[in-house]
Amino acid sequence: MAQRLQKKDNPDIFLEAPPAPKRGVRFFIAIALLFIILLWAFQGAKIRPGELLEGIPQIGHTLGRMLPPDFSKLTDAKNYFFPEQVSWTELLLPVPLAQAQARSKQRWWNNIFPQTVIGATLETVQMALAGTFMALLVAFPLGFLAARNTTPHPFVYRIVRTLLNLLRTIPDLALGLLFVAAVGLGAFAGTLALAIHTATVLGKLLSESVENIDEGVVEAIRATGAGYTQILSFAVLPQILPDLISFTLYRLETNIRAASVLGLIGAGGIGYLMNTSFRTFQYQEAAAIVLVLIALVMLVDYLSSRLRTLVV
Amino acid sequence: MRTVNSTQQYRLAEIRKVFARDQVALDRIVLTVCRGERVALIGPSGAGKTTLFRLLNCTLRPTSGKLWIDDEDVESLNGKDLRRTRSRIGSVYQQHNLVPRLRVIHNVLAGQLGRWATLQSLLSLFKPADVEIARQALQQVGMPEKLLERTDELSGGQQQRVAIARVLVQNPDVILADEPVSSVDPSLASTIVRLLIEISQNRHKTLIVSLHSVDLALAYFPRVIGIKEGRVSFDLETSKITEGMLEDLYSGNFRDHSMTEAISERVQSVAYPSVG
Repeated sequence: MAQRLQKKDNPDIFLEAPPAPKRGVRFFIAIALLFIILLWAFQGAKIRPGELLEGIPQIGHTLGRMLPPDFSKLTDAKNYFFPEQVSWTELLLPVPLAQAQARSKQRWWNNIFPQTVIGATLETVQMALAGTFMALLVAFPLGFLAARNTTPHPFVYRIVRTLLNLLRTIPDLALGLLFVAAVGLGAFAGTLALAIHTATVLGKLLSESVENIDEGVVEAIRATGAGYTQILSFAVLPQILPDLISFTLYRLETNIRAASVLGLIGAGGIGYLMNTSFRTFQYQEAAAIVLVLIALVMLVDYLSSRLRTLVV
Repeated sequence: MRTVNSTQQYRLAEIRKVFARDQVALDRIVLTVCRGERVALIGPSGAGKTTLFRLLNCTLRPTSGKLWIDDEDVESLNGKDLRRTRSRIGSVYQQHNLVPRLRVIHNVLAGQLGRWATLQSLLSLFKPADVEIARQALQQVGMPEKLLERTDELSGGQQQRVAIARVLVQNPDVILADEPVSSVDPSLASTIVRLLIEISQNRHKTLIVSLHSVDLALAYFPRVIGIKEGRVSFDLETSKITEGMLEDLYSGNFRDHSMTEAISERVQSVAYPSVG
C-alpha cells in the first residue's frame, strides 16, 4: 500500500512546465470563425461610420436646443390624458388582453396622471426602495435554499437554482409590460417588475456568498448541537452580512436607474415625463429632467457608498 | 489489555472512513476511551487525526465500523438525538472556528445553542442572554475584559481561549481539541494545553487532544495514541513509549512533508503568477 501511495504522491511535481500548445489548423479556423461572426454582427448592426460623422453636427444641434435647461416647470403638475378607446396596454402588447385591459382601465385614476417632475422623481426613488425591499424579503430565504452548503435537500437546491436562473433571463422591461397588463399603468406595475427581477439577482448573489463562507465555523457551531436555523443565524448570517448589505445597496442604485427607464412603458417613475417632453420637442425641459435624474443617481451613489463604509 | 470499565466514553470498532476517489483516511481503528481519561493523539500530518476528530464529535459518519458514545450507537442517531449527543461533546479547533464579525460574548454563548430554543438564540444575537455565564467562562480562561470586543480584533492565542470559553459554556462530557496550539505562539502553547488539562481535571471531563508537538503530548498526557496512515500505530501509557516508536511513527514522512511544501508552493505560484 505504501508503494501505491508513493506512486500517487510522486508525480511530475518537479517536471518543467508543459510546453506551449502548438497552434494548429484548429486555432486558425477558430480565429477565422470569430472574424466572420464579427463581420456578420457589424453588418447586422448597420455600422456606418460615414453617417455618424455626418450626424455629429445634428447631435450638436439637438444639444443646443436643450440649452439652457428649463427648470421652471419642474413643479408644474402635468395632466396626461389617454383616449378612452386605446389603452397603453393595447399599444404595448402584441396580443390584446381584453380582461387585463378592463382591469387596468378600472385602476386608472380617471385616466389622468397628474404629476410634477419632482413628484415623479420621488416616485422613482420610492419604487426603487420598495422594489428592492420586497426583493430582499424574497431573496433572503431563496439565497440559503439555492446554496449547496445550506440547502435542506439537493432537490430543493436544483429547483430554486433553476427557477432563479430562468426568471433572471426575463428583462425587467418585459416584466414591466406584463405587470402593466395585470395591475394597470403606474408605479405599482414598475415596482413589481423591479422586485421580481431584483429578487432573482439578489437570490443568486446571496447563494454564491453563502457558498463562499468559512465552513469551519459552520462545523464548530454544528458541533455544539445547534439546529438548522441556529447554524444559519450564528455561523452563516454573520459571515454573509457584509455581502448582503453591499449587494442590496448596489441593487438599490441599479433600481433607481431601472425605475427611470420603466416609465417609458408607463410603469411609473420619471421616465414617462422625460420621454414625453422629448417626444413633444420640449428639449429644454427634457434637459432639466435629465439633469435632475443625474443628480438623483449621483446622490444615491454617494449615500450608499457612505452607508456601506459605515456598516461593512 | 486495558481494564474493562463500564463507564466507557468512546468505543470504536473497526472504524473505516473512505473519502471520494478511494482515499482511505482511517482504516480498522479500534479504540476505547474511558470517562475522565486524558488522551493525546499524535502522528504526521495527513495521518487521519482530523478525520478521527470529526468522527468523534459526530460531524462526520464512518464509512463502516461502529462508534459508541456512552454506549450509544452513533449510527442510529438522527435529528434531535444527534444534536443532543453533539451538545455533550465540546470541540476546539486549530483555526478557532469562531465567527469573526461577532462579539466575543456571542461566540462564547454559542456553547449554549444545544440548550437554547431557536427563537431564544435568535434573540440573543440582539440582546445576549446569560451574560453572567459568558463572563464567568471568560474569567476562567483569563480574559474577562474582552467580553464585548469584536472577535476578529483579538490575537490568535486570545481567540483560542475564546474557543475554550465556548466549550466551558457548553459544559460537555467530552472535550475534543484538534491541534489547538498549532496556530498560536509556541510560548502560549503549553499554557493552553495546561488550561485544557486543568478544565478536564476540575470538572471530570474526558479530554482528547491531537497535537503536533510530541513533547507536549508526552509532558501532559498519561496516555498517547500514535496514528499513522489512517491506523493506530501505538496506544500506550506515556511511560511505555520508546524513542523507537516515535521514530517509526514519523519515519518516511519527512520527504512527504517537503513534497507537500513543494506542491503548495507550486499551487501558490500558479494562483498568483504576477506577485513578486
